Amino acid sequence: METDRIESREQLDQLAKEFRYIITDIMCRAGGGHIGGSLSLVEIIITLYFRILNLKPDNPRWEDRDRFILSKGHAGPTLYTALAYKGFFKKDVLLTLNANGTKLPSHVDQVITPGVDQTAGSLGQGLSCANGIALANKLQKRTNNVFCIVGDGESQEGQIWEAAMFAAQHKLDNLVVITDYNKMQIDAEVEKIVSLEPLVDKWRAFGWEVFEMNGHDWDEIYDTLNKAIAVKDRPSMIVAHTVKARGNECYENRIECHFINIPDEDERKRVIGGVCTDDNGEPFHFNWTEGKDA
Amino acid sequence: MNLHEKELRAVYTDTIIELMTENSNVVCLEADLGKSSGTVPRVWEAFPDRFFDVGVAEANMMSISAGLANEGMVPFCATFTPFATRRAYDQITISIAYAENPVKIVGTAPGVTTAKNGATHMCFQDLAIMRAMPNMRVYCPADVYELRSMVRYMAASKKPEYMQLIREVKPPIFDDSYEFDPHQARVLDQGSDVTVVTTGLTTIFAREAVAILKQENIHAEHIHYPSVKPFDVDTLLESVKKTKAVVTAENQSVIGGLGGAVCEVLAEHYPVKVKRLGVQDRFGEVGDVAYLAETLGFNAQDIARACREMQAAK
Repeated sequence: METDRIESREQLDQLAKEFRYIITDIMCRAGGGHIGGSLSLVEIIITLYFRILNLKPDNPRWEDRDRFILSKGHAGPTLYTALAYKGFFKKDVLLTLNANGTKLPSHVDQVITPGVDQTAGSLGQGLSCANGIALANKLQKRTNNVFCIVGDGESQEGQIWEAAMFAAQHKLDNLVVITDYNKMQIDAEVEKIVSLEPLVDKWRAFGWEVFEMNGHDWDEIYDTLNKAIAVKDRPSMIVAHTVKARGNECYENRIECHFINIPDEDERKRVIGGVCTDDNGEPFHFNWTEGKDA
Repeated sequence: MNLHEKELRAVYTDTIIELMTENSNVVCLEADLGKSSGTVPRVWEAFPDRFFDVGVAEANMMSISAGLANEGMVPFCATFTPFATRRAYDQITISIAYAENPVKIVGTAPGVTTAKNGATHMCFQDLAIMRAMPNMRVYCPADVYELRSMVRYMAASKKPEYMQLIREVKPPIFDDSYEFDPHQARVLDQGSDVTVVTTGLTTIFAREAVAILKQENIHAEHIHYPSVKPFDVDTLLESVKKTKAVVTAENQSVIGGLGGAVCEVLAEHYPVKVKRLGVQDRFGEVGDVAYLAETLGFNAQDIARACREMQAAK
């Protein structure tokens, strides 16, 4: 499916299935990957890239585009899948995830990947970068919006809260941030490590307009993003309640889903089976060569 | 008033104001030490829309600056050297250097010049750790003329760059005609007995040392390195092939900074004996600059003594 803007529920559902299959598949081919926090973002990133963001895939650095900063940079595979479907590069580039010499590293990289606006991966920094980008866009009198996704575990970084104060101080109402609140981090549940609660109240106390949504419900995501975009004089935080590794039966909502290792073909088949709908193991037939050269 | 009668931070501030007047993309950031850098209140008052004091949040300042640079702005962000480098090292590494976002980082009050602030604020490793970072350039001006030219160069350059900024009035070495080139070290005195390599504060000390040595008929060739990275290899080798002896002096640890850079070059290209003056792997303390430079062993007398010893050992 070559894709620009998508509105129908059926098409969105189909796209989410394809994304989950591809993300799982390319990680399995790469021998492993951050599957949990990638699959929890599928509906949110699809909604951003196919219903919200104003982009020109032929001109990735188009000055008036909306910006997207994936501060939890380890969810790169979901972003890469969106970029490939949008036409920033050919879909078969996805097959090079983490391969030697790839343009698609496990954590997002603005220098080597067309369509990636900001390098991230060392947690806590992307939101500050998004502040700088939003500030620059305001100084440049642009009318675009800047979107950023932070992780829940990432929100234990002090720099997130430095950035929270700065964005409110400077009334960055062109900034919309989403917390991927899947309630899990590497070692255990967030609640068991260092709780973020009361998360909504925290962001509100920091001067942000705060929304909550089900991060897997198409209408809620779309409506909440539009409400956040309309906010004036303050930045917006959307606390998205999500399920880690959503849609892969092998790992969904299991603490070991943050990063998976795929040591052999048996394990690959088992994990691919977690997103397959039939018994053949390969439910989707992609034209991997669609799109343009990266 | 001559330029060199001004404090270096005043010239930094003057130059930033000039650049912001000329180029609407230039922005100035501080982390609650703008009064120390010199930009508060002058830059804030002159350009309230392009001056951002992020508060006591250096990590945030580095990543915000990365985002600004990513969008084509030219951010100059300043704070004390320990906070401008080691405190925010990962933010500088990932948000700025790895991502190739050309932020201009200014570390004020380098080494002993932070004086009475003492050991907590006295950073002796910023040249070493910033030099070790890929994509990062590392500069140390020695007077106001070099500083002014360097800041203008940085505003035009598309590279991530770090510059030390001494705050106080210092004697002039260059003049109005000076043009900074990071690939060009400056031979300040010619000689054939020993090569003295310095940067920033120690360039001032070495001027005095060279004068002392002349009276003793020892002719030192004094090379000032405004850029520690990129490092001008040719000028060093040309001198060392004459003198066969080197003394380095820096307002830094002897581990990894200017002396380290010199030894790396010479070990690979032209091995000769090198004496590294600087801080001998210890922390600082409170005191004035003269006391600290003497205690730590890199003032003019120390440089002169090291040169004498080098010459005697030939």
